[in-house]
Amino acid sequence: MGGSELLQFVISGLKNGSIYALVSLGFTIVYASTGVINFAQGEFYMLGGMFSVWVFATFGLPLPLAALLGILLTAAVGVVFELLAIRPRKDGDQLALIIITVGGSLLLSSLARHFFGPDELALPAFTAGPSVRLFGAAIERQTLWIWGLTLVAVVLLNWVYNKTKLGRAMRACAIDRDAARLVGIDTRMVVTVSFALAAALGGLAGLSVAPLTQTAFDVGARVGVKGFAAAILGGLGNPIAAVAGGLMLGLIESMSIAYLSSTYKDAVSLGVLLLVLFVRPQGLFTRSRKEKV
Amino acid sequence: MIRRMRMLFAIACVIALLVTGCASDDSGSDTGSSTSGEAYRIGAVLSLSGTYAGLGAPERNAIELEVARINDEGGVHGRPIEVLFEDDGTDEAKAQAAVTSLLEKEDVIAIIGATGTGQSMAVRADVERASIPQVSMAGGSVITDDFNDWVFQTPWSNRVVVPFTLDYLKEQGVESIALISDSGGYGKDGRQVTLDFVDEYGIEIVADETFNRGDADMTAQLTKIKSAEPDVVFMWSAGSEAATILKNWIDLWGAGPLRFKSGGNANQSAAGAPLIIGAPGNARVELAEGAGDAAEGFEFAAGKILLLEAYGDCVGERGVASDFIDRYTAEYGEGPDIFAGHAYDAINIVVEAMRRLPEDFTSSDLRDEIENTADLVGVGGTFTYAADDHNGLSEEDIVMYRISDGVWTLVEGD
Repeated sequence: MGGSELLQFVISGLKNGSIYALVSLGFTIVYASTGVINFAQGEFYMLGGMFSVWVFATFGLPLPLAALLGILLTAAVGVVFELLAIRPRKDGDQLALIIITVGGSLLLSSLARHFFGPDELALPAFTAGPSVRLFGAAIERQTLWIWGLTLVAVVLLNWVYNKTKLGRAMRACAIDRDAARLVGIDTRMVVTVSFALAAALGGLAGLSVAPLTQTAFDVGARVGVKGFAAAILGGLGNPIAAVAGGLMLGLIESMSIAYLSSTYKDAVSLGVLLLVLFVRPQGLFTRSRKEKV
Repeated sequence: MIRRMRMLFAIACVIALLVTGCASDDSGSDTGSSTSGEAYRIGAVLSLSGTYAGLGAPERNAIELEVARINDEGGVHGRPIEVLFEDDGTDEAKAQAAVTSLLEKEDVIAIIGATGTGQSMAVRADVERASIPQVSMAGGSVITDDFNDWVFQTPWSNRVVVPFTLDYLKEQGVESIALISDSGGYGKDGRQVTLDFVDEYGIEIVADETFNRGDADMTAQLTKIKSAEPDVVFMWSAGSEAATILKNWIDLWGAGPLRFKSGGNANQSAAGAPLIIGAPGNARVELAEGAGDAAEGFEFAAGKILLLEAYGDCVGERGVASDFIDRYTAEYGEGPDIFAGHAYDAINIVVEAMRRLPEDFTSSDLRDEIENTADLVGVGGTFTYAADDHNGLSEEDIVMYRISDGVWTLVEGD
């Protein structure tokens, strides 16, 4: 295999990987503040794309504005979802909450089919033009956008987590929710904010992929599964680990296409995931938290 | 620990649920009014939600349109017909449940459906057990290849499409092709039939890649295909991934439009990316919309309904199609696609067979009479079923299309 082809496989892997990374960030943020896997995360991805297309096509707004509105609307859905479905379950029973998110996921995709129709919808590329060439390999302009936006999202998220009061409250919740409440942190507010953030990130992923793949009411579940796998692979609860897990999952997939066969790409990546769960259940890129007694 | 196990178990269940897909049920019915007597009940199992919702919706439209027309014209033997719709959610198990309920509870005389190949195959054991004829609107060749007395099909099966397409490629001097196919029912079937036929045409397969529904990027597969240097890429996909493949391919080459690499039409130069050729599953406007410029030059074989001029001098077929297109457009505000056409053919094949029978026929009589269908002019072509042919169409019923300036055009000279 030539160098330029290998590079092409790496690029393809990193492109899929950063999509997985954005979705897995959503999983990890909600998990950190609630201890729950939010299975509606994939639907936020779907809604981001659908809302942007809808705003863009119906109101004829410029694309950047449509994208921004798409993210805000998705974040709003995330907040409403949390207030109506998660918050009323006051005891925070994790199993019940997980089932609630599954129901929410089915509800959101059914509603999307009702409002936006069953057909796939297209969004134009953010910047039109031929792909960029790099040592004989091609990079679509949209891929550069996806990488750039992923980077911006991660840097922003890191800043929020480490430098703001809100971020410190979120981290405190992640470590011990009861203790956080005792020192005066509004934990309910933290959960709502984390849903808004997770929805916004999912929406961002969905709308930046929409120009490449089109979008439809049923894209959420499959992406959700991949993002969840990436979050587990990297380690739940840590944003950097989630991104690393996403990129790694993408690379594993494209390398198994390169060296094995495209038929086995999902089998290989899920095999690696299982292996990680057996050997390092806390994920590849997180330290296991010691329980202090 | 137990809590953790419980959680893992719940997560496993959830993943199983999400991956196999879940969707809401909705069913409705349509009753005629201008006729008297007990209605003839026909069951229709369509994918109104799930992956194939975009195919099931026009199918339902076409059936409702035809039922209304038939009943307005006095029904069959003076009795109205009634079609009971069930949604299979693009899911095999749900299709089976839907058919069971139609057969046991509703006492239907025939089943129209399903939308997808997998769902059509899943219900055949039940249809056969109940001795009820089934007319499928799915294109998988397995539906009629794996022959069953009770099962008929309205789209051109892949056994018709593949030789037609390979014939065309051979004429253009193509010697090698690469396959890229959906791992689901339609792609799997198309890939297998292509593999069965290539030797006969002396065409070599230099790459054979697959993808899964929902994949966001096919660059890795296409990189492998590109390095295998095929003359043409043969794509099998009925979903939105087709547009992604076209865009990835053009981006990989850094040049468009799609062209025959060697030989080919004299008016085409060697520049641009090697041609991607598709199948009837690509005959959806969403493909050209989604792929934009990357779809320029894309070719696929499909029935003639996409362009009236494709019917040529075939006055009968052209008349049937243009009448259907006019009525459909007037009712729904948009033209019918090939899937609406398959549904039109399915309901009319059943109804015409009913008309040829005396009033008190049995389901078994109906099956025999559907098999006797001869020279029935439909939208998808002229149907002639036989005891060993339940597809009824031939290569004459399909033509080659090319996307040019974003719209379908007829490829001349075949």
